[in-house]
Amino acid sequence: MKRYDCMKLLAARLKDELVILSLGASVDEWYNAAPHMREASLFQQQLGCVTPQAFGLAAGLPHRRIISLDTDGGMMFNLGILATLGNEQPKNLFTVVWDNECYQSIGGPPTHTAFGRVDIAAIARGAGVENAYTARTLEEFEAHCEAGLKADVPYIVVAKVAGTVQPDIKRKHSDGREDKYIFVRHVEATEGIVIMGPSEHN
Amino acid sequence: MKQSSVDAVIRGLKKAGVSIVCYLPDSLFKQLYPALDADPDIRTIRVTNEGEGAAICGGVFLSGKRAALIMENSGLRASVEPLARMGLGAGIPVVMLMSYRGELGENNWWAIPHGITMEPVLNALRIPYRIVREEDQIEQSIVDAYNWSYNAYYHSAIALGGEIVR
Repeated sequence: MKRYDCMKLLAARLKDELVILSLGASVDEWYNAAPHMREASLFQQQLGCVTPQAFGLAAGLPHRRIISLDTDGGMMFNLGILATLGNEQPKNLFTVVWDNECYQSIGGPPTHTAFGRVDIAAIARGAGVENAYTARTLEEFEAHCEAGLKADVPYIVVAKVAGTVQPDIKRKHSDGREDKYIFVRHVEATEGIVIMGPSEHN
Repeated sequence: MKQSSVDAVIRGLKKAGVSIVCYLPDSLFKQLYPALDADPDIRTIRVTNEGEGAAICGGVFLSGKRAALIMENSGLRASVEPLARMGLGAGIPVVMLMSYRGELGENNWWAIPHGITMEPVLNALRIPYRIVREEDQIEQSIVDAYNWSYNAYYHSAIALGGEIVR
């Protein structure tokens, strides 16, 4: 199963949602697979922070569906967030873990999931996220997207994907600071709120 | 902490517009955490480590709500990676309120590292901070931290020490 094909299936289901995703090759893939979600997607560059940030966003905007596009390396970096999700039970957070069993962006050395023992979905269930599943086919992945996007409990799908990158895709030119502004202005416009407002005159 | 200091912290958070607090409990703020849990205007989120709390606070910032990360100052060390990346890489601010373990007067050997490392770590990250030891300065200091962070779009910190936490 290719990550890019999964992304296209997920993207086709998205409209008003907000997405937090991990840096690496998956960023450019997402940009190409979901061009209509460009302003609604924020690329974050740190292992272990993607799903926590998505959960913080979900806590702040409980009426809106938030999607975390995390990775096996990122989730293994901070397994504690699974226990926090288990306790907090956010009603509006759908998490996808792209599990390619390697640190792809640095050339592909194996992550802990590469050796057939570590099961992130099982860890999540043990942490109290009852709806945590592994998808190995596009059909399974799409079924979990359909269920996860309308669930009123935290929902995690671990997508077992190949360690390859979609060839010939456009690169994103913006850095983290520009991405933050693009995302915040989108949230402001769609929520009718001010997050980064004008300075005082004094 | 005295009840009056707990009240001052909560007044400061509310005046600054905070509605979500992430915390990992410690002993010096022992009385503060249940008071936050009990406050109807504040949602508390218990985290498994302070770095996770920092990242959640960053996500809350993106939602337009205001969050605080409350912890012992040792939690600063656990938060350095997400703080550096969110703050310096993207301009996503986190405001921290921490107990000052390990300052002069500390009577636990295990807390000495927290005092020795707190200010150098804050300085390494270029995070402005204020050490508050007078109860009557708590409320305004918290408000000041939010005013600064929401203009700088960078982290700031308040450390409560001295008789406030002893």
